[in-house]
Amino acid sequence: MSVYAKPVEVLIDELGRLPGIGPKSAQRIAFHLLKADKIDAQRLSDAVVAMKEKVSFCDRCFNVAEGEECTICSDIQRDQHVLCVVEEPKDIAAIEKTGAFRGIYHVLLGAMNPLEGIGPDQLKIRELALRVAGENITEVILCTNPNLEGETTAAFIASKILAPFELKVTRLASGLPVGGDLEYADELTLGRALEGRNTVS
Amino acid sequence: MQITKLWLTDFRSYEELELPLDLGLTAIVGANGIGKTNLLEALGVLATLKSFRGAPTDSMVRREAAFAVVRAEGIRDDREVLIEVELGRRRTRAQVNRQRLKRTRDLLGALRLTVFAPDDLALLKAGPSVRREYLDDLLVAIDPSVDAALRELERVLKQRNALLRQSHGRLDEAAAMTLDVWDAKLAAAGDAVTKRREQLVDELLPVVSEAYEHLAGEEVPVGAVYQRSWPEASMAEALVVSRDGDVRRGVSTVGPHRDELVITLNGLASRTEASQGEQRTLALALRLAGHRMVSSVLGEPPLLLLDDVLSELDDDRARALLTNLPPGQTVITSATDLPALAVPDRLFRFDDSGHPVAGE
Repeated sequence: MSVYAKPVEVLIDELGRLPGIGPKSAQRIAFHLLKADKIDAQRLSDAVVAMKEKVSFCDRCFNVAEGEECTICSDIQRDQHVLCVVEEPKDIAAIEKTGAFRGIYHVLLGAMNPLEGIGPDQLKIRELALRVAGENITEVILCTNPNLEGETTAAFIASKILAPFELKVTRLASGLPVGGDLEYADELTLGRALEGRNTVS
Repeated sequence: MQITKLWLTDFRSYEELELPLDLGLTAIVGANGIGKTNLLEALGVLATLKSFRGAPTDSMVRREAAFAVVRAEGIRDDREVLIEVELGRRRTRAQVNRQRLKRTRDLLGALRLTVFAPDDLALLKAGPSVRREYLDDLLVAIDPSVDAALRELERVLKQRNALLRQSHGRLDEAAAMTLDVWDAKLAAAGDAVTKRREQLVDELLPVVSEAYEHLAGEEVPVGAVYQRSWPEASMAEALVVSRDGDVRRGVSTVGPHRDELVITLNGLASRTEASQGEQRTLALALRLAGHRMVSSVLGEPPLLLLDDVLSELDDDRARALLTNLPPGQTVITSATDLPALAVPDRLFRFDDSGHPVAGE
């Protein structure tokens, strides 16, 4: 039984399939678009179509790219010897904001998660092995998320993929947010920060 | 922390109730079904934010009300503390000294609790998971960081089992490599939990024996052995050995989730060989032993709640329990008067409406 006109139902269903949008939000967005000017709705649909047409994943690192190569891979100023492995393109944006990394990236497009049916074959891990074999890389920084799935993915890459190569493999440190108070840190983070403490000379 | 006064608003059957507690033994006496256990449950909410009877939050709010409030005044480190928990139908909020806590779960640990209820007979009668839970709860009470280790173990098991199921009984080379990594995670998480549990059982055994001997009034050898679900020295080895079987069955067959705490009486398995009375006494001994261990580690005894224990024990054992309660604050409910010789510091008799008629 459909309560609303068919096209509205279709739109609500489509919106509801997006991550982070439940049925109520989908309904709210659909009715917002229904009331909006036609030109605003057109702009949104054009943006979606244009993105799908023009943007895809970089052939080399699987970052989002307009064309075959992303802006980072085509930047020859960057250090081509240090490779940072991340789960998602949005992680690149986060690391880029720090300005502390001038190397290149490799995006896995996820993390190992058997519950969601994601194993090494569903990730860009084979492509990573090919890059490490073919490019002149001296250090790989494993920047997967500090949760169980991210840690397991990092362990898999380090022990099963990178072990035969002669290169430095590092893992992102975990610790406390800068500018925060110790008392607000959760026990697990604070415990990790204690384990990874540095000597003050 | 010790509780000096408890107030309830719209909690279960109570519209309003004020109940001063003694720092020693407070007894709540009244007929069955008038809400004595509800009072203990309210004290439990202050400690754990949930019902020790496993009831949903919604059912603790009086039917006509939007939310229930449990408020307690107490003493911690010689200072007065006021704890308030608001149980809403949608969410639970907490205040300490009229300051709202940013994260409600920060209240956990403020008030420690040991509960003994008739259901605890399951500790001996039910399957191994109940005894594993008993050990894990005790470990977390002694060291809260164990909670993270337990959750990690649970998550690793879920992921590993999902991987095993997907292999449909056969492991190709790529899947074997993936399983290696999950095995390493499970080995680390599993070893950590197993060692903690084994250590706890070793420390617990003499305390359980002593508690049992005291309650039973006779020396009966009590045994407690933590039985691993694998014979190998480390979990990593065990996972290598069990791999084929795990893949064939699609589940993790070894690990702390399959371990058992075997409790014996006179060398006989208590689960199958002990009498009902022996099992009740043993269950109480297990709770009291846990209580003593937490007391000695934290330097302060948890609040001890004894729900309707007297109906469970014969007169001699009931007297043995009440005349030698562990130090600290205790609240007991009973349908009948306490046995002679056991004089509570404060006694409330509840009438049929579930309200105290006399405080002595």
